[in-house]
Amino acid sequence: MAAQARGDIAVNVDECKGCGLCVESCPPKGLELSPDLSAYGVHPAHYKGEGCTGCGICFYCCPEPGAITVYRLAPPPKPAAQGDGHAATL
Amino acid sequence: MRQLCKGNVAIVKGAILAGCRSFYGYPITPASEIAEAAALYIPQVGGTFLQAESEVAAINMVYGAAASGARVMTASSGPGLSLMQEGMSYIAGAELPCVIVDVVRGGPGLGNIAPEQSDYFAMVKGGGHGNYHNLVLAPASVQEMADLTVAAFELADKYRNPAVVLADGFIGQMMEPLDLEYREVIAPAKPWAVKGTVETRKNLVSSIFLEPDELEAHQRHLEAKYKQAQQETRWELYDTEDADILLVGYGITSRILRSAVQAARAEGQLVGLFRPITLWPFPSQALRKAAAGARQVLVVELSNGQMVEDVRLALNGRVPVEFYGRTGGNVPSGEEIHSEVLARMAKLERETLTRTGR
Repeated sequence: MAAQARGDIAVNVDECKGCGLCVESCPPKGLELSPDLSAYGVHPAHYKGEGCTGCGICFYCCPEPGAITVYRLAPPPKPAAQGDGHAATL
Repeated sequence: MRQLCKGNVAIVKGAILAGCRSFYGYPITPASEIAEAAALYIPQVGGTFLQAESEVAAINMVYGAAASGARVMTASSGPGLSLMQEGMSYIAGAELPCVIVDVVRGGPGLGNIAPEQSDYFAMVKGGGHGNYHNLVLAPASVQEMADLTVAAFELADKYRNPAVVLADGFIGQMMEPLDLEYREVIAPAKPWAVKGTVETRKNLVSSIFLEPDELEAHQRHLEAKYKQAQQETRWELYDTEDADILLVGYGITSRILRSAVQAARAEGQLVGLFRPITLWPFPSQALRKAAAGARQVLVVELSNGQMVEDVRLALNGRVPVEFYGRTGGNVPSGEEIHSEVLARMAKLERETLTRTGR
């Protein structure tokens, strides 16, 4: 079973200039340049749909303010350990 | 305060420490974060950030604010700087201080948004019309993006002249530790400023001198000022004392050359590095001294050869000067430079053997 996703990425294709820095820098290699051209004639970054850990490195290295938004997804609630509820909370 | 900071953001933080409270600009990759950070931080310290309708408008807003005596800046990249050249010439002609940041991208034309050092001619040689110079500083780290911005404001005020921080898309985009300390703002009085007050009503800021003698006198005055500014040269030496091959590079390239020097020295090759920090005034005298014992100078730039002309002028035939450049946003590795050095060392060795007839 695939691990629970920890992050998600939205690329604003109107801001992306297809420089590829995010593709280079993504540790789990979750980004690629789209084969399609944007309205501005560049191949914008595209999230492959899995692997994002929410680390935000693509956000920091992107030279276009507003082109990449990284979502850190909340982990599912941990099941309370049996008979040890307080320890799990603390 | 120590922090992890992007080069472009460090520019704005340095500017705020230098007392800059006015920023007029227009975003362009790879300099956009400067406008973004200025929009965030400068209003927080009571200043003005204004996104102009174009670079032409932005530089003329800088012109106006500088005339009022404010510490003012703008930032852009190649195409934007091309549009600003007219205003920069006017500001230099009117003898006003301001700071202009160029985070150089690939050119000519739209080029691309990857790093180059191809705006050297445009910034160092003037770029705009008429007899003038910009003071030009070339940072090589995020720390220097802040520190040299502060220095740029001080030099601009001292000489009443535009000062350019000539960075590139590499330093602008990378993140490194940055140490910032609150410092006292060193700014001279500006009795020439036009502030819209009774006291400054007699002042006039202009670059027009219609009488030929008057304009010539003005240019002689500028010339004397530029001569005086020669004392501001800054440079950095790295393992130059015994170097057979002296590498010369500025900005991000100097960091790569430093790695190449380390790799060469580890193999016993006598290689050193001369890094100009001020590109105008160019540290010619210091370069002549550093190259005095060298058999070969190798200039490396992210361009097709621009600073190499100033290196040749400075050395004036004393030492053979060769050039290695990468363009288009390609950045050479330390290994690539090291192999270029090895090739030149082998050539020097062959020449020595031929000369001595062995």
